[in-house]
Amino acid sequence: MDNASRHHPQNIRLYLTVGQRLLRDSLLFQLLLHDDVELVGESETGLDTLNRLEAARPGVLIIEEDLLDNDGLTIAENALSMNPTLAVLLISEITVSAGRLAIYLEAGIKAVVSKHQSIQELIKTLFYIRNGQVYVGTLQTPGNNAGEAMVAYRALSRREREVAQLMARRVPVKDIADQLGVSCKTVHSYKDRIFIKLGFERLPELILFMKRQSQGAAA
Amino acid sequence: MSMDSSLIPQVIVRYDNEQSRRDFEVIFGQDFAITPFSSDATALAHLDESGRCPAAVFMLSDAPTGQDQSAFLLRVRDAFPTVLKILICDSMPLDLLVSLLDRGLVDACFERPFNPDPVRSKVLTAALTAQATPPVLGNLTGPVAGVRPVVLIVDDETVSTRYLSLQLERMQDEFRVLCAANAEEAFEIIRRGEESITVVMTDQRMPGQQGKELLDELKQSHPEVIRILTSAYGEVDVALGAVNDGKIFRYQTKPWRTPELLDLFREALAHHHALVAARENSRSQTDAQFAALRSKRYQRLRDCVSAVLDPIIGDAGMTDWLQALEVIQALPANTSHVRASRDTTLERDLIQQFPELIKRELSGLSLHKAEPDPLSSEQFFAELKAAEAAESQSVNSSAPSLLALFCRSLVVLLKASGMTHMDFATGSECDADVVLSTRRELHMYTHLLAPLTRISQPLLQQQVAFLLLHVAAINLGTKLTVTGGQQRFGLALRFAAFNDAPASSAEHG
Repeated sequence: MDNASRHHPQNIRLYLTVGQRLLRDSLLFQLLLHDDVELVGESETGLDTLNRLEAARPGVLIIEEDLLDNDGLTIAENALSMNPTLAVLLISEITVSAGRLAIYLEAGIKAVVSKHQSIQELIKTLFYIRNGQVYVGTLQTPGNNAGEAMVAYRALSRREREVAQLMARRVPVKDIADQLGVSCKTVHSYKDRIFIKLGFERLPELILFMKRQSQGAAA
Repeated sequence: MSMDSSLIPQVIVRYDNEQSRRDFEVIFGQDFAITPFSSDATALAHLDESGRCPAAVFMLSDAPTGQDQSAFLLRVRDAFPTVLKILICDSMPLDLLVSLLDRGLVDACFERPFNPDPVRSKVLTAALTAQATPPVLGNLTGPVAGVRPVVLIVDDETVSTRYLSLQLERMQDEFRVLCAANAEEAFEIIRRGEESITVVMTDQRMPGQQGKELLDELKQSHPEVIRILTSAYGEVDVALGAVNDGKIFRYQTKPWRTPELLDLFREALAHHHALVAARENSRSQTDAQFAALRSKRYQRLRDCVSAVLDPIIGDAGMTDWLQALEVIQALPANTSHVRASRDTTLERDLIQQFPELIKRELSGLSLHKAEPDPLSSEQFFAELKAAEAAESQSVNSSAPSLLALFCRSLVVLLKASGMTHMDFATGSECDADVVLSTRRELHMYTHLLAPLTRISQPLLQQQVAFLLLHVAAINLGTKLTVTGGQQRFGLALRFAAFNDAPASSAEHG
């Protein structure tokens, strides 16, 4: 996704409509980590979204399918009739079937991400649709994301794995360097390589991945 | 009829060497059903035999030179015009890309190593929406009789564009030529909407917004405007991006030659007319399909609630309700709505779930009053406030009385529009009756007779409330007037003054 963003210097003007505060905050904390995401508005209802859309002038609208006051797709259709250049990403409650997905695309939605998919998938999708492209990830059951990271993890060198384990335990870089008998600079370059190979951008992603994979191994 | 998630798009791959075929299968083996061929002849024979349209055709080429003469691509273009044609090669010379585009031989082109995500997305999208023309979201500017179409040239070299436009204007009278010095100016002209802009040719490198960005935005806002990118610099990646993301009509290299541009613009105009005709055709087809679905739904809705409602509000009451819905304008139907009605259980679910909810709401209510007590506006307001309070505390009592039902239904509709009892104003008193109406119109983005893609809880809740409001009003002797609007409706309630009660309730007798 960083490849995609390098070609497009302009910001993503994002509007987010999600009913529950907790989910909305969680998404925003992740999305706003990206420099080129600019939040121009947020709502918990469809009505509020449509009322404020014109003033906010978003380029991308991320909207939940199940809103309290209206159906998210109906609101999206209305938003599109007001502003046809808006790129809409719909968050669905359940994994959508191919037939349903076709209906969404025909309605002018650019992409659908279900609540069962990872945050990385949502962010990747957001960057693909930013200029009005349609994006369909896969028709297969999603979730192979973790599988990809697992394959990448197995391909790490022994040293890299060691560093990954220590980092996931939040051991400071200096202590890792001491423990392995290398310089801090070397640890940093291990860290960079691990992140690139696993497709992660931030430490929490690595911590979560290591936690899940150790639990998976124990099970 | 409905597709299941095991749907895998059929893809035909024409490859030059085994390694590129294997690489392709490793990347896309999960997503596509791949049939590979190492020669044009075998691939074409397969296409002729199977008779089935694949979702996409891939050309995996070692040396792309000469692909603009490929018998295979030519044949696919002519015999299967809707099939996606994708070329994958190591490096793409710009003049070849220009030529491929001129001849309509590729829809997308990727240089190795490529990101598989957009490639996969293109094929899956094509497979999913094979029969559909995209919805017309922008302002569709069709040909206006007596108005010459306009070709807009966007370039910061204003001296040469002015010269070019003069030349072109002198050579023909089929179209006019306008010039803009940058993307912002171009948008200004397009937005003003005074001209019938049909073709936009833009330079890539300009101060401010780049040509490709202008075309990307135009693709969304004015899909029927034909887009041409032009540049003096041989930037293949920009050209590839414009083809793959922006679906441009042509890529025109500089320097321009006026006769060449004249031919190009004539072709672009013809393409525009074909596009507009196809969209209008699809539009009217969709309108007709939805009109048929809607009249069927109207009848089935009426039938499915009649057992419950006939004894209470009668035939006339049901007609009132359905007519009130009919005057509320929804957005026009597009293929997604027709598909939802045909390929999903939507229509069936609707006539099962809706009467169930109505029955549940009405159970325990005695509705067979011979002579309803006339309702005063004061009583109404007191009850409406109580219903609002109950709603905000999520007290879900089954409505004990008609009046409570009336007010509770009203609260649902008001709330969906962000309104409260405060938004009611006392209108004119006619014949001593009190007329209350909302200061603004209420929102109703979709309803039972409008295009639907899904039955959501809020939809059912609002539609149940809308019907029960009618039921209660009729039985309370309160006249309810719904005036239609664009996804909105006005609401007026007429309460009989005490003295005139019998006269007013007789209206609904």
